[in-house]
Amino acid sequence: MKTSDHAKHQPIRLLLVDDENHFRETMAKRLAKRGLDCDQAGNGNECLSMLEKKKMDVVVLDVKMPGLSGVEVLQEITHTYPKTEVILLTGHATTSDGIEGIKSGAFDYLMKPIELEHLYNKIIQAYDKIQRIEAEQKETEYRKQMEQQMIATERLASLGTLAAGVAHEINNPLAIIRESTGWMRQLFARDELKNIPRHEDFKGTLDKIEKSVDRASRITHQLLGFVRKSETTVTEVNLAELAEEAIRLIMHETQNRDIKIVRHVEPALAFIRSDPNQLRQVFLNLLTNAVHAIRSVGTITIDIQDAGESQVVTVSDTGQGIPRENLDRIFEPFFSTKPTGEGTGLGLFVTRGILDKLGGTVAVESEIGLGASFCIRLPKHLKKMDDFNECYDKNWFNKIKSRFKG
Amino acid sequence: MIKIPTRVLLVDDEKDFVEILGFRLKEVGESVTPAHSGQECLEILENNDIDVVILDILMPGMDGIATLKEIKSRYPLVEVIMLTGHGTTESAVEGMKLGAFDYLLKPAHFGELTAKLDSARKRKDEQVERIRKAEVKLLLRKSGDI
Repeated sequence: MKTSDHAKHQPIRLLLVDDENHFRETMAKRLAKRGLDCDQAGNGNECLSMLEKKKMDVVVLDVKMPGLSGVEVLQEITHTYPKTEVILLTGHATTSDGIEGIKSGAFDYLMKPIELEHLYNKIIQAYDKIQRIEAEQKETEYRKQMEQQMIATERLASLGTLAAGVAHEINNPLAIIRESTGWMRQLFARDELKNIPRHEDFKGTLDKIEKSVDRASRITHQLLGFVRKSETTVTEVNLAELAEEAIRLIMHETQNRDIKIVRHVEPALAFIRSDPNQLRQVFLNLLTNAVHAIRSVGTITIDIQDAGESQVVTVSDTGQGIPRENLDRIFEPFFSTKPTGEGTGLGLFVTRGILDKLGGTVAVESEIGLGASFCIRLPKHLKKMDDFNECYDKNWFNKIKSRFKG
Repeated sequence: MIKIPTRVLLVDDEKDFVEILGFRLKEVGESVTPAHSGQECLEILENNDIDVVILDILMPGMDGIATLKEIKSRYPLVEVIMLTGHGTTESAVEGMKLGAFDYLLKPAHFGELTAKLDSARKRKDEQVERIRKAEVKLLLRKSGDI
């Protein structure tokens, strides 16, 4: 990198510490001419109190100063501000201090009298080191995060496939249970059985069996919905129209509550190419959750905006909000905070699965007591089935996986 | 009004399911013949008058879709309601394209099933009536020619 680039684009926060005022000011002026502005401190204590107020990238520190010595200040800096690099300035008599300083974590030491060019280069090198470490840390963090997501997604994908297989096998016995219950109900309606003792208890028990079958079959159908692969229709989709369709479908949920639905749709919203059936399911899942979060009185806002290569849909509610500790878990299968029997814990799991397939993303923000907001970003062009398969078969975690193989 | 029983052929490899659903349909006045495979279904259709076939899609051997194709080519007036244990609808959609009257997801609600059964029976009766009228018209025209 050219030296002038540092000064132009990323001003280095530099602190010059020396008890010789004249030397310090001269250095500061000459560095400023090279594009490096610096703060100044006349002793160790002043240096430390300035660091408390302002973060510094590089400290150029004289070793021999009255009061706190340079090495003591250095030790304090490396302990309290590990990201700050220190260059020590030593006289002939204090070379051993310089070596001591390197051991204590100084970036380097320079002997007085120093050449400005030499000092300048050292400052730039120290700053480059900071940036390299920061980049490495970011990369490590990113890698760690991606690996965790990869593990989670693989786990969910295999779990989903297994669960769907089980769900399919369960549907047949469920059908038999339902028909058997129905048959008993028909038998109880016969004249000869109408007056048997505890007739109502029998009927009540049948109700419970039927309700449980309904609950189980809701789960199995949603699970099967999650893994369906071939049912894809990529066509022109108007997200605002899809939202309206989904709103109509949840009307029965909002009818008995005081829930207002507000739309903010960008005028002349363009069509996108995607799968309307699956997106309708996404809208439906998010709206149903919003209604359940609000419970009785509140507002659901649907915002649809154009954003260059994609469109962004935000579904916000004024419901109870999602606790911070649950935010990471809401997309997991079978995670539900709804009362037992009301939620399958699959809505958001399916939602994210669909969006992964369609090359989109979903993010959530929430504050307890204020509500939650789900933000979906969808590409405008899921052009061909090839793209779709690309998104589905080699979905994002495979792409990330291949990145790490190298 | 006395209900004329719909002659239902119930096809599913799950014997318990066929038995129980058979009981229930008989209880509401339908006439039910059970079958446990596509092959058996076709054999029964050859020797019996059937209005509506309730047909499971996933069966070992000849599956529901293959059976449906045969039914529609040999007995186009017989209506077919597909039953699927799959949450996927594509096989059902394929069935509809091949001429099935409707489809239901397992486990289906009995009320929904009987409603569809009634509609299927109605459509079959209308078709039969239309053909009968057309034949009569044809006969009359022929006799007029004479």
